[in-house]
Amino acid sequence: MRLFAALIVPWVCVSCSQWDHPVKIPFIATWQGEPIQCDSPDVALSDLRFYISNVQLVDGEGQSHDVRFATEMPWQNDAVAYIDLETGSGDCHNGTAGLSTQVLGVAKFREYRGLRFTVGVPFRLNHENPLAAKPPLDDPDMHWHWRSGYKFLRAGVRTEDDGFWIHVGSAGCEGTVGNITGCKFPNRIEVSLPEFVVDQHAVNIDLTALVAGTDVADGTPTDCSSGPPEDSCAAPFAALGIEFETGEQTGSQSVFSAQ
Amino acid sequence: MKYTPILLAVLVTVVLWWFTRATAWDWELPPDLPPPQVPADNPMSAAKVELGRWLFYDRRLSGNETMSCASCHIQSLAFTDGVAQSIGSTGEIHPRSSMSLVNVAYASRLTWANPLLDRLEDQALTPLLGDRPVEMGLRNGEQRFAELLRTEPKYSALAASAFSSDEDPHSLLNGIRAIAAFIRTINSFDAPYDRYLAGDANAISSAAERGMELFFSERLECFHCHGGFNFTDSTTHANSNVDRVGYHNTGLYNLDDTGAYPSDNTGLFDMSGERRDMGRFKAPSLRNIGVTAPYMHDGSVATLPEVIANYERGGRLIEDGQYAGDGRLSPYKSEFVTGFELTDEERADLLAFLDSLTDQTVLSDARFSDPFLN
Repeated sequence: MRLFAALIVPWVCVSCSQWDHPVKIPFIATWQGEPIQCDSPDVALSDLRFYISNVQLVDGEGQSHDVRFATEMPWQNDAVAYIDLETGSGDCHNGTAGLSTQVLGVAKFREYRGLRFTVGVPFRLNHENPLAAKPPLDDPDMHWHWRSGYKFLRAGVRTEDDGFWIHVGSAGCEGTVGNITGCKFPNRIEVSLPEFVVDQHAVNIDLTALVAGTDVADGTPTDCSSGPPEDSCAAPFAALGIEFETGEQTGSQSVFSAQ
Repeated sequence: MKYTPILLAVLVTVVLWWFTRATAWDWELPPDLPPPQVPADNPMSAAKVELGRWLFYDRRLSGNETMSCASCHIQSLAFTDGVAQSIGSTGEIHPRSSMSLVNVAYASRLTWANPLLDRLEDQALTPLLGDRPVEMGLRNGEQRFAELLRTEPKYSALAASAFSSDEDPHSLLNGIRAIAAFIRTINSFDAPYDRYLAGDANAISSAAERGMELFFSERLECFHCHGGFNFTDSTTHANSNVDRVGYHNTGLYNLDDTGAYPSDNTGLFDMSGERRDMGRFKAPSLRNIGVTAPYMHDGSVATLPEVIANYERGGRLIEDGQYAGDGRLSPYKSEFVTGFELTDEERADLLAFLDSLTDQTVLSDARFSDPFLN
């Protein structure tokens, strides 16, 4: 009997504690080190909405462990979480009032130091019919009707008469809508934050780094829509860790950090 | 026994109802012309087409309720709008020109240069919901469109009938399906040219006959891109087993001698990122071309004589301004745009032929007109 218990109890406990480590990953947006909102004076947020997928925490041995999204939250399903840091007010003209500022999920019970995630929608979900998609992929604002797929990231800042915004999504896709076979420029943003500790850190989105290399105050608003003829895409894409001309990952991005 | 007549009546009704449901759609096409392709998930029906026609002309489909689909697709202009670059409901100018919807059911790809869009149901999302530029600007469109279908009695009944097997017939998706079904019915094969082909030797003038010969000659090569029953090489139909799509650079621009087109209108290059796709656009159908000025993807050629002059030259020369350049020297220009020489009479003949492609029936057919005007 004691042998039986010794065999059974660990299994029971393991299955109990397997996924009981709650994970909360807050996101904040800053400009020159200070929080930025849609109604900030001087430089204001004009948009900041994105999809997160493939979230992993790194344990003491350097092993990655998946974070499972809490699917009862309306901004999350089992594959993607939708973060919306704009409030539809002030300079966020095309935005919505709703906010979702953090990813909520569970992970295996471990000590973790390090966070990895992708800003983007996995390919297998990226080219489904948005009108038939389940939340949070049912938002037409995030859907790229023209290029097919979703806008993985919508971000921008505005000054009184100038600004810069960027829409990042897959480009150079082939096939037809409903039968996309692949995209030459997947444009998913890979983020690795080795210093990140759950419950101590938030993910800081440094918009200054994102728009460095574009000219936010030259009197001419500019933008980047992940499209090939746009000179305004090279610098922000590089900040996001993507070489714009080739679509290759550079391995280092400067926009997301642990704070 | 006394219930027999009633049972019989019920049986006959059921049989008739079933039979009319199962009957194929009557496209009312000339004999020998194959019908267009229809997506399997959006079969044609009278209720659907009727609903789609109302929605096509309904201004409540725009965010500020100032425009409907018909605002940029005017029947008398073969469902174009007569301006170089269309203007959206909030005043934003589109980089490109509204395309004709006549026979668009036969288009293998939609819009000027997006190879991903082969179904009207998918293309419709861009003018309805797109924000760059804002066209119809239907923000929160899903809710508003669905609410319109639910609360407008006529739409509610038509949608319930057209989408009777759906759990929720009154959705944005179904509204778009209805509009697509209506647009598929806008077919035109009753131009003088069609009647000439059908055997009426007097349907077109002898000038137009000579123009026709020129059009289909290797000397002019028009038919290479503008051939077939719909005068475009991007044509598909129910019996097609090959996906025929064509994008062509006609030497309209050559900025900085690099072959570049203006950055907001690079054509296929914008989608593929391949330099060789610079300035490649779909060759639209030439049917009703006489009423769909101005011409080209950005409406930058005002008249048909100017169009012909550009092809005659082998590419357009823009002498000054920000778009200066000689399109004839573009490295990306189509191999079919090599230039030719026409006498004044031949030029007039070619124009007469193009005129013979105008189908007055479709421009005024009550089936496609604005039901709100009754």
